[in-house]
Amino acid sequence: MNPGDRVRVDRADRSYEGVLLPSSTDEQFVVKLEGGYNVGVDREAAAVEVLEEDVYDIDGSADEGEDGSTVEFDEELPTIALISTGGTIASTVDYRTGAVTAQFDAEDVLRAVPDLAGRANYRGRVVANILSENMEPPIWQDLAEAVREEIEAGADGVVVMHGTDTMQYSASALAFMLETPVPVVFTGSQRSADRPSSDNVMNAVCAVEAAKSDCAEVLVCMHASESDDVCALHRGTRVRKNHTSRRDAFETVGAEPLGEVDYDSEAVTFGREYQQRGESEVDLELEPALEDDVELLKFTPGMDPAFLDVAAGSEGLVLEGTGLGHVHTDLIPRIEELIADGTTVVMTSQCLEGRVCDRVYDTGRDLLEAGVIEAGDTLPGTAKVKLMWTLENADSVPEAMETSLAGELQARSTPWN
Amino acid sequence: MTEYDYDELGLVAGLEIHQQLDTATKLFCQCPTDLREPEESTRRFTRYLHPTRSELGEIDDAALEESKVDREFEYLAYDSTCLVEEDDEPPHELDDEALETTLEIAQLLEMRPVDRAHVMRKLVVDGSNTSGFQRSTLIATDGEIETSEGAVGIEDLLLEEESAQRVAETDDGVRYSLDRLGIPLVEIGTSPDISTPEQALEAAERIGMLLRSTGKVKRGLGTIRQDVNVSIAEGARVEIKGVQSLDDIDDIVRTEVARQVELVEITDELAEREAVVGESRDVTDVFEDTDSGVIGGALRSGGSVTAVLLEGFDGLVGREIAPDRRLGTELSDHAKRHGAGGIFHTDELPAYGVTDEEVADLREAVGADPEDAVAIVADDTATAESAIEAVAERAATALEGVPEETRGANDDGTTRYLRPLPGAARMYPETDVPPVEPDPSEVPEPELLTEKVERYQEEYDLGAGLAEQVAYGQHMPLFEDVVADGVDPTLTASTLESTLTELRRDDVPVENLEDEHLRGVLELVEDGDLPNEGVGDLLASLAEEPDRTPEEAAEEEGLGGADEAEVREAVAEVVERNEAQVEEEGMQAFSGLMGECMGALRGKADGDLVSRLLREEIQKRA
Repeated sequence: MNPGDRVRVDRADRSYEGVLLPSSTDEQFVVKLEGGYNVGVDREAAAVEVLEEDVYDIDGSADEGEDGSTVEFDEELPTIALISTGGTIASTVDYRTGAVTAQFDAEDVLRAVPDLAGRANYRGRVVANILSENMEPPIWQDLAEAVREEIEAGADGVVVMHGTDTMQYSASALAFMLETPVPVVFTGSQRSADRPSSDNVMNAVCAVEAAKSDCAEVLVCMHASESDDVCALHRGTRVRKNHTSRRDAFETVGAEPLGEVDYDSEAVTFGREYQQRGESEVDLELEPALEDDVELLKFTPGMDPAFLDVAAGSEGLVLEGTGLGHVHTDLIPRIEELIADGTTVVMTSQCLEGRVCDRVYDTGRDLLEAGVIEAGDTLPGTAKVKLMWTLENADSVPEAMETSLAGELQARSTPWN
Repeated sequence: MTEYDYDELGLVAGLEIHQQLDTATKLFCQCPTDLREPEESTRRFTRYLHPTRSELGEIDDAALEESKVDREFEYLAYDSTCLVEEDDEPPHELDDEALETTLEIAQLLEMRPVDRAHVMRKLVVDGSNTSGFQRSTLIATDGEIETSEGAVGIEDLLLEEESAQRVAETDDGVRYSLDRLGIPLVEIGTSPDISTPEQALEAAERIGMLLRSTGKVKRGLGTIRQDVNVSIAEGARVEIKGVQSLDDIDDIVRTEVARQVELVEITDELAEREAVVGESRDVTDVFEDTDSGVIGGALRSGGSVTAVLLEGFDGLVGREIAPDRRLGTELSDHAKRHGAGGIFHTDELPAYGVTDEEVADLREAVGADPEDAVAIVADDTATAESAIEAVAERAATALEGVPEETRGANDDGTTRYLRPLPGAARMYPETDVPPVEPDPSEVPEPELLTEKVERYQEEYDLGAGLAEQVAYGQHMPLFEDVVADGVDPTLTASTLESTLTELRRDDVPVENLEDEHLRGVLELVEDGDLPNEGVGDLLASLAEEPDRTPEEAAEEEGLGGADEAEVREAVAEVVERNEAQVEEEGMQAFSGLMGECMGALRGKADGDLVSRLLREEIQKRA
C-alpha cells in the first residue's frame, strides 16, 4: 500500500474509498475521497484494501512532458533573465509537512504565469531553491554573479524571484556589490502561488515591465495597495517589509517609492530621479567581497550588557539604537572598548523613519566620542549589509558609512518626495 | 404539466442544503457574522483571479471555463471585516463554536464524524471568494433521515465558509460585499435516494426542521439555500443551484424531469434524422442592410454575424422543453456564457426585424436544406466567434443526449445553464489551517422542534398553534432563554409571535428590534414596571428609535410610570365625567368605562389594576 493507490478503508461502521495520500502523522491515513475531500482515519482502527495501485503519481513528476516551456525567440522583444531563488512566488504544497515549499525552476514560473508570455524573451535560471528566511550571504554572492553573467550574456533586464522575508537584504546586497547598466528587479509574492488570488501573477508581470524600463538600478517591485492595479517600484536599499501578510507589505521608508507600474496599461512611470539606462554609460562591474563577521544588535530597555560581549571581536557591529541613536549610558564604556579593540560600530535608529543625530544629547555625544559612526537615515538592515560590503571594499569605512553609495542614505529629509 | 411515472423513468434525486450558522464570529477569523448595507462600506479594492492546479496536478473544468472570462472583481469592506476576508492575512483556526454546532447537526442526522477533519480549498474563481477558493471541511458521513416514502441517506456534512455577496455588475466585472464572506455554513448532501418530487420536498423540510432544532442556525432570507441534483435513467446528473424557496423543490424536480424527457426525445428524433452539426462560419454579408436592431447594432460597431448549420434540426431548436424554454434557449445560454447577448435561430425567424429574404440568404450562405436549422450570433467579432463555437458544441451534445451540468434556478421554476459540473480536481488542502479532530462525546443532543411543540403545550400551557409558531419561529432560542429567566411563557409567546406580527402589519419597522430589546421589554413586564398593555406601544417606540434601552424608551413614552394613585386619579376622572351613566346603570356601566379608562391611561397601567380601581370608584358612586 503506497501513496497514490486507490484504496478502501474500513473503520467500524463506515468505509471510505479514495486515493491514499502521504500523511503527516503516523497515527493516521489521509484518503482523498471521490468528491475531492481529504479525511484522516485512525490507522489502528482501520482495515485497508488496495483496489488499484498507482492511480496517481504523487511526486508530481506527472507534470513532466507537459508543453508550455517551448517558447520561441522573438527578435522584436527585449530579453529578460528570470532568476529564481525560491520563496512563495515559486512554491507549491509539500505533502509531508502540509506546508508550502519552493519546488519550481524558472521555467515552471513561466508555465505558472502564462501572462508573462509575449512580453519578452526569457532566460530562466535557478540560483537557489530556498525559503528566504534561509538566505545567507554566500547566496547573495552567487546571485550577484548570476546577474552579472546574465547581463553580460545580453539580458536587457533581470527579474529576481525571491521570498519576501529577506528580500530587502538581498536587494541591498546586490545594490552595493553591482554596478548595473540595466534594471535588476526583485519580486515575490505575499500570498502563495497555489491560490487563484495569489499576487504572484501581477507582481511578476509588473517586474518584467520594470525590467524592460530604463531604470538601471536594483529595484523591488511589489503591490502598491491591496488592489491588483499598481505595483510600486522601491529602491532596493530603502525598502522594508512592513507587514506580515498584506500584499502591499513593502514600503519605501523615508520617501515615496521611486516609481510604479500600472498593471492594466503596463506603463512604467517614475516620480523621482533615478539612474537611467545608458545615460552615464555605466559599465557592468561586480565587487562581491563581503565581511561576514558583522552583527546587528537592537538595544532595548533592560538589555543584558553581555550581548555586547558576544559582539566583541567582530569586525563590525551595527547598533539599532533608540530615538536619535542612543543606548543606555552604562553601555558606552563597553562600546568604547569594542571600538578600541578594532570593531567598527555603526549607529542606526529603531525609529526607522528619520535620521540619527548624536550631537543633541549627552548620551549621543558620549557615543560619538567613543568612536561610533552615524549611519544617517540608513535603515538598520541595510546598514548591516552595507557595513559587510564596505569593510571589504571601501578605502575609508567611516567615510563610506556616512556617504550614500547606492541611494541608501538620503542627504535631505523630504519624506513627501 | 404532464405527470410522469417517476419510477418508470428511473428518477434519482438528491439534495444539498446549505445553512448559515448563527455563531458569534466567522469560521476563520474573529469578525462578527453581521450583514451590512453596501453604503456602510468603508474601503474597497479590486482583484483578479487565476485558476490553479489541484495537488494531483489536475485543473478543474468548471474553474477553467469560469476563468476564460477575464474579469476584475471589486470588493466592499467594512468596519466589521478584517484582512482575513480580504485574503491579506492567513485564516485563523477553525471556529470552535461552529464545529460544535456542526457536530450537533451530525448527531441529529445520525452521522459518523471523521477521525480527523482536513480543511480543503474548493476552487471557485467567479470572485465570490477573495482567495479564489472556498474553505470546506468534511466533518461527518453515513447519516440518515426518515420520510414517508422511506429512508434517505445523508452522505456528507461539510462545514464551510459562506461566499461574498454579489452586489452589482460593474463595467469590468462584478462587485462583491465582504460582510457575508466567512460566515460558517453547513452543507448537507443526501444520497440519491429520492425517487419522487414530493419526497424531495419532504426530505428538505425534515432537514430544515432538524437544523432549526439546534437553535444555532441563522434565520431569514438567504440564510438557507437548497441545491437539487436530478437525473432520470436515460438523462444525466444535473445539479440545480440556488432554489430560492423550499416550497419550490418539488416543482423544480418535476420541471427538470420534464426537460430531460424532452431532451431525450429530441436526441432520438435527431438520431432518426441522422442530424449533424456543421462548421461555424461568418455570415456578416447576409445582414449588411438589415433592419434588425440587434444585428444592425452589432455590425455598426464593427462586429460580425457568425452562423452554424444544424443539419436535421429544423423544428427541434424551437421545440419547448420547459415552460417558455426551448432547445434554442439552451444554445443561447451557452452563447451568453461567452459574452454574447443570445442567439437567433431559423425556427423563430423571420422575426426581430430579420426578413424572409435574409433568412433565405442565410440558408443559402450556409447551404441549409429545408430539414436543417441555422443558429446565428451577432456581436463583436471575437465574441461572435467564440459564442457560435459554444452553440455548436452544445448542439453537438444534443445528438448524444442530456449533458451533465450545473444549472441555476430561475424565479419561474425553470433552470438555466451555468457551467460544467465541478469535479474532484477543484479540491486541494488548505495548508494554512491545521486539521481538527472532532470530539462528538461532548456534544449535547438538541431537543427536536416536534418535541418542543409538545413540551410547550404541556409545560407552559400554550395552545397547539402558538406552541408550533414559537418552536418553528425565529425567536425560539430567545423564548427559551427568557422563559428560563422566569418571564411568563404565555406573555412571551404572544409577544414574540402575535404582537410582533401585528406591529409588522401596521408597518412598524420591527426588523430593528434586537433580541436585547425584546428581552428587556419582557423583563420590564415581569418586574411589574410595565403593564401587559404597554408591550405593543413600547416595542413600536423602540423599533422607531432602537438606540435607546427599553427602560429609556418606557420613560420617554410615559409607559408604565403610572402608580396606583395616578391610575386612581385617571379612573376617578372618567367616572366623574360619566357620573350620570354610573348613577343610572351602576356596575352595568363597567365594561363601557373600562375601555375609556384604558384609553385615558394609554398603556401606562396594568388592566387588572385599572379594573379593580374602576370597580371601587363605581361602587363609591352607586
